[in-house]
Amino acid sequence: MSSVKSPYTVPPPCNHLASYKLKNGLAGYTSLQEYLRIAPNGKPAISKPDSKAPGCSSCNGSHQRLYLCLSCNWISCIDHTLSHTRSSLGHEIAVDIERAELYCGTCRDQVYDPDFDRAVMCKYIREMMPRGRNGFEGISIISERSSKRRRLVPGLDSDFSVSKQLICSGDQRAKSCYPLGLRGLNNLGNTCFMNSVLQVLLNAPPLRNYFLNNKHNQDACRKASADRFCLLCDIDVIFSAVFSGDRSPFSPAQFLYSWWQHAANLASYEQQDAHEFFISLLDGIHEKEGKAKDLNKDGRDCQCIAHRVFSGLLRSDVTCMACGFTSTTYDPCMDISLHMDTNSSLSADSPNKANKSSGNNMGSSSSTLIGCLDLFTRPEKLGSDQKLHCQNCQEKQHSLKQLSIRRLPLVLCLHIKRFEHSLVRKASRKIDWYLQFPFSLDMGPYLSSSIVRKRFGNRIFPFEGDESEISSEFEIFAVVTHSGMLESGHYITFVRLRNMWYKCDDSWVTEVDEKTVRASQCYMVFYVQKMLYYKANEELSCIPISSQRDAFLPVVGCC
Amino acid sequence: MLWRGSVNRPPTPEAEDGRQDQHLSLQEIINIKLVESGEKERLKELLRERLIECGWRDEMKELCRSFVRKKGKNNVTVEDLINVITPKGRASVPDSVKAELLQHIRSFLGSAAL
Repeated sequence: MSSVKSPYTVPPPCNHLASYKLKNGLAGYTSLQEYLRIAPNGKPAISKPDSKAPGCSSCNGSHQRLYLCLSCNWISCIDHTLSHTRSSLGHEIAVDIERAELYCGTCRDQVYDPDFDRAVMCKYIREMMPRGRNGFEGISIISERSSKRRRLVPGLDSDFSVSKQLICSGDQRAKSCYPLGLRGLNNLGNTCFMNSVLQVLLNAPPLRNYFLNNKHNQDACRKASADRFCLLCDIDVIFSAVFSGDRSPFSPAQFLYSWWQHAANLASYEQQDAHEFFISLLDGIHEKEGKAKDLNKDGRDCQCIAHRVFSGLLRSDVTCMACGFTSTTYDPCMDISLHMDTNSSLSADSPNKANKSSGNNMGSSSSTLIGCLDLFTRPEKLGSDQKLHCQNCQEKQHSLKQLSIRRLPLVLCLHIKRFEHSLVRKASRKIDWYLQFPFSLDMGPYLSSSIVRKRFGNRIFPFEGDESEISSEFEIFAVVTHSGMLESGHYITFVRLRNMWYKCDDSWVTEVDEKTVRASQCYMVFYVQKMLYYKANEELSCIPISSQRDAFLPVVGCC
Repeated sequence: MLWRGSVNRPPTPEAEDGRQDQHLSLQEIINIKLVESGEKERLKELLRERLIECGWRDEMKELCRSFVRKKGKNNVTVEDLINVITPKGRASVPDSVKAELLQHIRSFLGSAAL
């Protein structure tokens, strides 16, 4: 597996920045350090020794961004910066005072220099931040690169040759021209919640590889464990049935019975929550494997198939608002549950909408999945009733909490919290708003490296975790949608195979248009690492399909 | 390199004299008072908080994203973004936020010795 280019690369300097550095080296940056201070928003800024209101030296304007010329210390608004650049040779590079960011007057754009950011960060961390964990963390940001690499576990993307034979020797009498791996699942009594999740698992590339390569051998499993019930064996049965070539709907009764043994409290014919089922299923798989493999004795990551595919790591930073001390914790997660912002005054059902002239285009910020992810990683002020004990201040203080993703899983499950349980009103309701979701998703901005880096303004410097081999680009492969009300509704799953979409509604599998999927009300959206998605597509296309269908499907790569 | 002087400094234009001039507009005086007392920074912080809370910043982010997507990410400069987004941003600040900020400024003016 060749290493993936780090998602965060340093842009090359423009000619003007390069010649500035040739001429001045780091002298300009170091002399600037004296005037660095922390702005109220917590980020570095540049300020004069006296507290006079900074303004453009030419026109005294102070309502625009102000730039300090690095060659002569002239402060100008943007217009006068540009004319200053034109009139004074060699005075192209300036600094945005408010943000401590470099600007090139000839390119008329922001430019980046790791040496500059290093100078800013050194001053910032060394002198501004109080001594504490955060200080040490800051220094490690600059000097160290983590040599930890997460290898893509072999076996999950092993070559498909064995399974190719399995499939090709299957029933060639298959009537439909659908790709293999699509088969209806009978509803056994309000089990659409189960069927919808099973369809996702059947089409998750790493899981498909795992089961079709016979990585969970039922005979070996039966011999090894005295336990009569094994969820993985049952899933293996389902995979075999679905990929057999038989298109008649299949009843996953054995699986349902097994799951009831595991989740006794949910064993009934009542409607269940698909997300709850999903988590319970992963838990069941982990438990079984955990017993068998004696894991976590040495603190290593769990190697059960559920964790290998879905497990990621979340980072939580809690910052004391009195002294700035930040404490960081890491928690593993199998999925990410996202809130839809119900408090936003720009939200759909708010009575006093802001006066906007642009009409419907600027809808609620959280009516997109990206908006929900932004909300998830936004720093949150903890209320007065949630004051946390600060190690530095030795007392309870108001705190700021921010989440970010330290490590992405192979398959990312994004769960939309549409079921709101209000303790105040003692009622639950379903949030029916439409949520736009992309087909291609770049999780880069939500990684810990990006979030922490942004805290210090717009910086470029190596951060531990940047060198991760796992790319942050994902492709959608399944959406579980819910229609109806809280107590009674219906789940269906849309799956994407070779860029065609198929609707799996219990026993009925039909091909649908992309537009239908986009317009659906998503409840759980599943993304897989882009490489795995395209690899899976390649492998699928070698399977012979009916001549009625055009074999040359264009690969569409954008959202 | 200090603020005061440098050999490379260009000739002082006349406008600079205007700064020490008596004829500062009321707006300029207020601005100076706000900055000197530190009130401007506090107000900026408050404004930032409110604009984040009500989702305004996320909307601006989304606007920026779609602008960059349309133009192509290598064809956009910071200036372009500022010129395009600023008017939309100004127009969409919620009235409640404006009212709150104005209230703060009013009480500051009432208390400050001008």
